[in-house]
Amino acid sequence: MSLAIPQGLDNTVERPGERAPLVLGETTTYHSVTEMVSQIAERPPSRAWVIGFLISATLASWFGICIAYLIYTGVGVWGNMNPVFWGWPIVNFVFWVGIGHAGTLISAVLYLFRQDWRTSINRAAEAMTIFAVVCAGTFPGIHVGRAWLAFWLAPYPSLNLWMWPQFRSPLLWDVFAVSTYGTVSLLFWYMGMIPDLATFRDRSTNKWRRMAYGILSLGWSGSSRHWMRYEKAYALLAALAAPLVLSVHTIVSFDFAVSQVPGWHTTIFPPYFVAGAIFSGFAMVLTLMVPARHIYSLEKLITVRHLENMCKIILATGTIVGLAYGTEFFIAWYGQVGEEKFAFVNRAFGPYWWAYWTMVTCNVISPQLFWFKANRTTPWRIVVISIFVNIGMWFERFVIVVTSLSRDYLPSAWGYFGPTWVDWSMLVGSFGLFFTLFLLFCRFMPLINMAEVKSTLAGQLHHHHGNH
Amino acid sequence: MSEHKHHLKTADDPSFQLPASLAALAVPLAAVGGAMLIIGFLIGAVAGPGDAAESWRFTMSAYLVAFTFCFSISLGCLFFVLIQHLCRAGWSVVIRRVAEIFMIAIPALALLFIPILLASWSPSGVLYPWSDAGFGDSHGIPASTWEEKLRYLNSGWFSVRSAIYLVLLSGLAIYYFRLSRLQDETGELTLTERMQARSGPAVMIFSLVTTFAAFDWLMSLAPMWYSTMFGVYIFAGSMLAAHSAVTVATYLLQSRGAIRDEVTIEHYHDLGKFLFGFVTFWTYIAFSQFMLIWYANIPEETEWFYTRMQGPWHSISYLMIFFHWLFPFLGLLSRHVRRRPKLVFAWSIYLLVVHFFDLYWIVMPQAGPTLGGASGILVSLLLTLGMFGLYIGGMLWFTRCKQVKILAVRDPRLPESLAFENI
Amino acid sequence: MTDKSNKKLHGVYAEFDAVDPLLAACRRVRDAGYVKTDAFTPFPVHGIDKALGIKPTALPWIALACGLTGTAIGVFMQVFMNTFDYPYIISGKPFFSMPAFIPVSFELTILLASFGAFFGMLALNGLPKFSNPIFTDPGFDRATDDKFFLFIDSADPRFNHKGVARLLTDAGGANLVDVYEDDTSTQSPKWLWIVLGSVIFLSMIPLLLVARMRVTNSSSPRFHVFFDMDFSPAKGAQMTTSLFADGRSMRPDVPGTVAVGQFDRELDFYSGIDMDELARRDSGRAERLVRAMLYPDDPQDATADAEAAAEQPADAVPATDQPAAEAEPAEAATAPPAAESPATELNPAVVEPAPSPTGAAVTSEDTTPWLRKNPLELSVEVVERGRTQFDIYCATCHGNDGRGNGLVNRRAQRILATAWVQPSSLHQDTLYQDVYPDGKLFSTISNGIRKMSGYGSQIKASDRWAIVAYVRAMQASQNADVDDLPVDKRDELKKLKAEVEAKLAAAAEAEQKKAAEAELKRAEAAKQKPADAAAKAIP
Repeated sequence: MSLAIPQGLDNTVERPGERAPLVLGETTTYHSVTEMVSQIAERPPSRAWVIGFLISATLASWFGICIAYLIYTGVGVWGNMNPVFWGWPIVNFVFWVGIGHAGTLISAVLYLFRQDWRTSINRAAEAMTIFAVVCAGTFPGIHVGRAWLAFWLAPYPSLNLWMWPQFRSPLLWDVFAVSTYGTVSLLFWYMGMIPDLATFRDRSTNKWRRMAYGILSLGWSGSSRHWMRYEKAYALLAALAAPLVLSVHTIVSFDFAVSQVPGWHTTIFPPYFVAGAIFSGFAMVLTLMVPARHIYSLEKLITVRHLENMCKIILATGTIVGLAYGTEFFIAWYGQVGEEKFAFVNRAFGPYWWAYWTMVTCNVISPQLFWFKANRTTPWRIVVISIFVNIGMWFERFVIVVTSLSRDYLPSAWGYFGPTWVDWSMLVGSFGLFFTLFLLFCRFMPLINMAEVKSTLAGQLHHHHGNH
Repeated sequence: MSEHKHHLKTADDPSFQLPASLAALAVPLAAVGGAMLIIGFLIGAVAGPGDAAESWRFTMSAYLVAFTFCFSISLGCLFFVLIQHLCRAGWSVVIRRVAEIFMIAIPALALLFIPILLASWSPSGVLYPWSDAGFGDSHGIPASTWEEKLRYLNSGWFSVRSAIYLVLLSGLAIYYFRLSRLQDETGELTLTERMQARSGPAVMIFSLVTTFAAFDWLMSLAPMWYSTMFGVYIFAGSMLAAHSAVTVATYLLQSRGAIRDEVTIEHYHDLGKFLFGFVTFWTYIAFSQFMLIWYANIPEETEWFYTRMQGPWHSISYLMIFFHWLFPFLGLLSRHVRRRPKLVFAWSIYLLVVHFFDLYWIVMPQAGPTLGGASGILVSLLLTLGMFGLYIGGMLWFTRCKQVKILAVRDPRLPESLAFENI
Repeated sequence: MTDKSNKKLHGVYAEFDAVDPLLAACRRVRDAGYVKTDAFTPFPVHGIDKALGIKPTALPWIALACGLTGTAIGVFMQVFMNTFDYPYIISGKPFFSMPAFIPVSFELTILLASFGAFFGMLALNGLPKFSNPIFTDPGFDRATDDKFFLFIDSADPRFNHKGVARLLTDAGGANLVDVYEDDTSTQSPKWLWIVLGSVIFLSMIPLLLVARMRVTNSSSPRFHVFFDMDFSPAKGAQMTTSLFADGRSMRPDVPGTVAVGQFDRELDFYSGIDMDELARRDSGRAERLVRAMLYPDDPQDATADAEAAAEQPADAVPATDQPAAEAEPAEAATAPPAAESPATELNPAVVEPAPSPTGAAVTSEDTTPWLRKNPLELSVEVVERGRTQFDIYCATCHGNDGRGNGLVNRRAQRILATAWVQPSSLHQDTLYQDVYPDGKLFSTISNGIRKMSGYGSQIKASDRWAIVAYVRAMQASQNADVDDLPVDKRDELKKLKAEVEAKLAAAAEAEQKKAAEAELKRAEAAKQKPADAAAKAIP
């Protein structure tokens, strides 16, 4: 049953004509895959987990306190001002929505392109997507001013208002896009987990645990008839989620690009936002998975090859983002519209020059380090570069939102935006919420899609047999 | 699967050669094509729509449509080849050579670019309005703005840029074609590794060139208009055209007895998926571009769409929604359609035609508010068919003369491609 | 295992170690003609549907139907809401803006199609299903780990226990297990229902409370969970502020500016004077009057104003806080002090002063060219409006009938107020139109007279004119003859008169009767508690 693949094999090297294995380890069997993944949730939590959880839960609580303070006092506690009405809350929103894109992209788009290497990382990436969307959804929710009336955005027949929402507004498109995305991602994630939850159920020795996982796994038996429909549903969801991913960040980009604000109104925004979202999403997956893989000893399942592939995607999308930055600049000059020209010169050399150059350095220059294989295959370097990418992508949204608004058409209304302590707290707090949810997920849910990894392993075994 | 054992034929199997019936078409196609091209020009010069200046503008624009139609197919095929190497794709090996043959037409197409280059030097702005220095004045553009524009849009710099684009693309095409053919003989794995290693930078060069070539060759027809997405829009159309052309060519080759056992339903299924994907992608890009300009409603941008909402262009714009999106979208939605080579082939021909209309819709409204009447349509038709005949005839002639195999016979991933099965 | 004989056989399954033997066994079982079979595997096995003869699923059609429903809902919802039911102009977009409706339609398509795929899959698979006889054997737990199982249902027409067991063993299956129908109780535990029921019941309470709140009224002030901008820091009338040097939060008009709608009629309308005529007769006075209207607060003109203010309509000085007394009228100063005797006060017709805020009477002949005609186009509506305004502002003193005996007057007389001046009756010859022109009446309402203060700042000019019209109608009504009415109304009036007289007579009779009864009662009461009754009689 085991594979004759040496433990130390470098599966980043692939001879043309042969496919490098995606699951490593001489003694790796179906059962050992189950063991490797299940023990994470079955053993008592490690000290690192407890410490990490306490820190992030504290930050998440602080986030909650800040939201309560904001709702009680009003949005004046933020740095948002005239003319920068969209300050950090919207920067954070776009940032988190972007992070949320890698999950569905890995699950759906890579699935459609038959990229088997996704199987080891898709589960965690999907979970990350949902938690990022939770963080993202919070910000516009509290940014509407009277957060307790946010339900007015829904098109329900109201006896008090006697009116309907304005569907010609991009902000309402956003409501539908982000909520659809959250829902479909949740379905996709949950559906993917059903067989693995059944594995947890069948392994549990404790009655309550068995009952909890039993309810969550809906009585999954592994029947071939069920699998057949399940796979069809999975393929359908993938085919639906792939354009959905594109549409979500496209619509987020519409929020900006349909306006006439110089620096916002440019037609490249939709694909450029999507590329940027994938870029930051993969960086976040790497930031999470490299430590997780080390802590939970999952090197046989999440191999260096997986990491390398993600690095390549970061390199590709980072370069697309760089091309978009360049195109924007060129067209601003080519178009010869005064306000546009000013907006871009102002980005690079105006009062926010530091933000712009941070963005360029982190987003365009740092991923270029992935041209070197050593950087793509050394875990700590990957993490460092990924963190830089995340910083850069946060700054990208900052540059777009703040520099354009602070220097609008009307010079007498220009202003300089500065964040308040609430802004800072909410940014840090949203990370706390994100990590809290992610750590809970690692603790209680199957971190890796066991069924799919076993399927990949089966393919490898089959191939192995075929060659002899 | 053990049930699907493929017995590899030897590299010099006759079914890997261009079928004789197709090879025989090479010279007639090219000759008729060339003749039609010349007749088209003559009619345009003598009896084109409108006065002499209008007629020349119309004829040159129609020539540009014909040229970009052929060029976009080759351009898309170049990207197809590059991306297969970049992704180390296995499924596509059996059809990659067909794409490579389309791709190698780029150096030849560079010669057909010469009339456009000449037109760009016309002081009366025969094709590109900016080559007429008085355009700014006569269109009420502030002198300072126009001068600044002319720093980029001037005949000399345009020619240099076009030469750079053509040289870079031809270089890439020749390089990849040569290495791929070399492998037919040697079967060396290092060739694949080399092609893979260079595909990353090659894609970067390709993207830059495509973006700027689209700006220069097509977007500058309306010198004051700009859209950052325009390059992506042209790219989307080219990819659609390339996948269609590869499908059509493969189907025709198979119908003449070549590569019958190698290309299976599975490959058509995948091509069908890509066709469906690029129809959707094109729609996404076209809609996003329109939406942003429509919504913001800024005069300097709406000009382009405004032109296309006058006269006959208005109906064509609407028809594009149905013909370029809705019909092929619905047609290719079903797996049953995508698994029937004949239907995929039919949809590919259809998509090539609508791709032509897409380019026609991009270029021709800048030449005049009408379709140019009967003579205008005749000129467009002659030039397009002529150029396409020359393009295909030349390609067949080249394949025949150079004894180019129509399958990458010793590619290390060929067995994988042969055994390929969709889930 | 113990009482197998009592249980019904559900089927038999065998265990396999790897994919390939399983597939081989599946084919063998299929070829043997079994149809009610199933394999249980830890991951989807490629090719097993063919090996077992499983038919393709209709799931894509379900998803497509749901997706199209989503598109339709999206398009119709938006068109209905924004094009028809609540059309609203925004950013110059047409009510029917298809491009703008595409994003939401797209999202709903995806959302519903995804629901279709997910819930359709669950429904077709019969999930969730928490009780399954196949789960009874603990060995089956490995179906989600590393073992593969091939199952033949006892419901299969070819099922025969021995034959199936042999077939499965021959096909390479190990550890054959007979699965029996689960005959444990299907009753849910009682406590579950109790817990569930109470949770549902408790969760209804807030909903019911909310529902009740929505249909009932409450006199107690709103309970603020959220402030909802109810406590705005904006200043109310008469509040102070530190923002302006004078400390007033209500701001006077900026001198020299004209507010929107302030002078949209000719000046005659606001002064009640034919200004052209006045300018011809006394240009200085006309100029001062106009200046005072335009620059009510200008201290430079304070003295010049004073005279003008004596006759200028207060309408022109709407927000001024300058007490009227401060502006000592020049004319009044030079004129002999007016007799403050009650006689003149009571009879404005004797002295005929230009209406003056100080109440000073000027005995000189009134040469002011008052407007003789109400500038409003008279109609029933105007007179009705005048009545409303009269009843609000004037009737408290002048009485609803205009006879000068309003509520304030009655109370003043009851408390014997010493400084009280009896309001004029409006039904006297000196106030009729021929001697007291409409313009003058207007000016009096605006600027006041004697103890009556000006109402110019409180009543709109057009309403003052409406009051003038109503006063004229009232005056006419008191001296009218039946013949003044249109012919068709006369009978009606006569009938009305008869009715009213009858009612009055009845009322008078009832009053008398009541009074007599009351007298009788009082007399009786007085007998019993004289002191108490006396005390009550005083107020």
